[in-house]
Amino acid sequence: MTIKEYDTFILTDLASVPEEQEMELIVRDLTPGDRRYKYRSAYVTALVSKSEAKYPDRLWIRLGKGQLQEKPWSIKILKEVNKIPKELQ
Amino acid sequence: MGYSVYKDNREFIKALEAHGELVTVQQEVDWDLEMGAIVRRVCEKKLAAPYFKKIKDYPGFEALGAPLATYRRLAIAMGMDPKSSIPEISDEYVKRTTGTPIQPIVVDRKKAPCKENILIGEESDLFKLPGPMVHDGDGGRYLCTWHFVVAKDPDAGLINWGMYRQMVFDEKTMVGPVLPFSDMGKMFYGKYAPKNKPMPFATVIGCDPLSGVAASAPSPIPEDQFTGMLIGKPVELVKCETCDLEVPAHAEIIIEGEVIPNLWIEEGPFGEYTGYRTTLREPRTVYRVKAITHRNQPILTVSNMGVPTDEGQLLRSFSLGLEMRKLLESQGIPITGVYMLPESTHHMVVVGVKPAYSKIATQIANLLFGSKLSPWFHMVIVVDEETDIYNKDDVIHALATKCHPINGIRKYEHTVGTPFYPFAEPDDRKWSRGAQVLFDCTFPLDWPKADLPIKVSFNKVYPKEIQEKVLKNWKNYGFKD
Repeated sequence: MTIKEYDTFILTDLASVPEEQEMELIVRDLTPGDRRYKYRSAYVTALVSKSEAKYPDRLWIRLGKGQLQEKPWSIKILKEVNKIPKELQ
Repeated sequence: MGYSVYKDNREFIKALEAHGELVTVQQEVDWDLEMGAIVRRVCEKKLAAPYFKKIKDYPGFEALGAPLATYRRLAIAMGMDPKSSIPEISDEYVKRTTGTPIQPIVVDRKKAPCKENILIGEESDLFKLPGPMVHDGDGGRYLCTWHFVVAKDPDAGLINWGMYRQMVFDEKTMVGPVLPFSDMGKMFYGKYAPKNKPMPFATVIGCDPLSGVAASAPSPIPEDQFTGMLIGKPVELVKCETCDLEVPAHAEIIIEGEVIPNLWIEEGPFGEYTGYRTTLREPRTVYRVKAITHRNQPILTVSNMGVPTDEGQLLRSFSLGLEMRKLLESQGIPITGVYMLPESTHHMVVVGVKPAYSKIATQIANLLFGSKLSPWFHMVIVVDEETDIYNKDDVIHALATKCHPINGIRKYEHTVGTPFYPFAEPDDRKWSRGAQVLFDCTFPLDWPKADLPIKVSFNKVYPKEIQEKVLKNWKNYGFKD
């Protein structure tokens, strides 16, 4: 199975990011089927690990000013979360 | 009648080509960083505007980069000789924009090329447009970098066109900063959001060049009327599909929707006009899209903010400086000119004055820092009429020699700033707090005349007949210029 790649911006101390427990974050899709959708963002509920091998997909980390970290983490996306109020969707 | 200007982006592109200010790029370019990198290099080297004919993944779309990043291109946009000097362009701009505003007219949709393609509902998908990834490390694809957002005051009905950057989040959502002291910020955060009402908006991409100039100008005149003054006739607008706003009929792409109250989504970071990526990724204003309309073969306009000079820096400096000139002239201050240096990323303005009375520089700074324009700049340099305000060498010389390190500098603390100032403390950025400074480069009037230093230059310390003789014989001496 092809590994999908995402990235996310971590605005807090990297050490404080909870691992192996459900968390909500914004991810950008770096490998969509249709390339026009590259960088599409979504709020997701996911499991995240600092180990690249723990979960099926790769998660690249950027800091608040866009600095890309050298080593990727891994992610398992559980579901997408829609933040837009229903009446405005 | 109007001035000899261009009704749309396409006529402007032809004019740029005719004046050698356009490079047509036939090779396919990637919207993912390559296009941005080309535009960035063009800005840094002050080269001709790139016109991209083929964009990867987006057949049928084209793009124009750095449309107004030089004074030559601004002169062309104004319908003037491209060789016009900055003072000539400034005087023409002030002449056109002083007097009675010109109301826009609404044309039938059949006469509006921006209605050639109408995508509503599910079809209005932002990823169908070739929004570029402008800089590596940006928070997303910035579809809107040289554009403007139309909004209407719900009480007064006044229209605002303003350049508010917009990042694509998903198919239907854009996000971007809307500062509370901006015109749209006052409307949305002052009037719509407290009532939990969405605010209709329309983003206009690829407009005629002078509508873009108007949208970037900090004039108190509504920008649709201000554009009319710049073009010398009413600007042609057309009704939106999903709201009661009106947009320029000849624009390339229109995105319609609503700004969502009481919801913030992370936006940024972004390479900003200061030449830095300063602001952090933070929750910002959310735009929800309902419709997209565009011309056939639409041409996206792309600006690339970074180190000088891009059109944001040039035009914002140009129009901010000239609004200051109007303000100071309206107060009867005996100024000789105002010039904001684009290289300062519109942070530094130079005001020339006849020092008619003591502390005139302080009066000038108080007026400028007390105005609505003030969050966008923080350095005022006041020089006397001996200094050429458009000559950076001359201004630096005056600053380094006439400004007393203590008596000539006046600091203004606890002022309104922006989150974009690279020098500001992180907490001040968060709360848009600033600080400002006056550099008074005029000699005090109470100095005895005998104590006044005398400027030593060719024009000042040689008798007129010697100057004329030297100039007459210059080439005979062996010099070329």
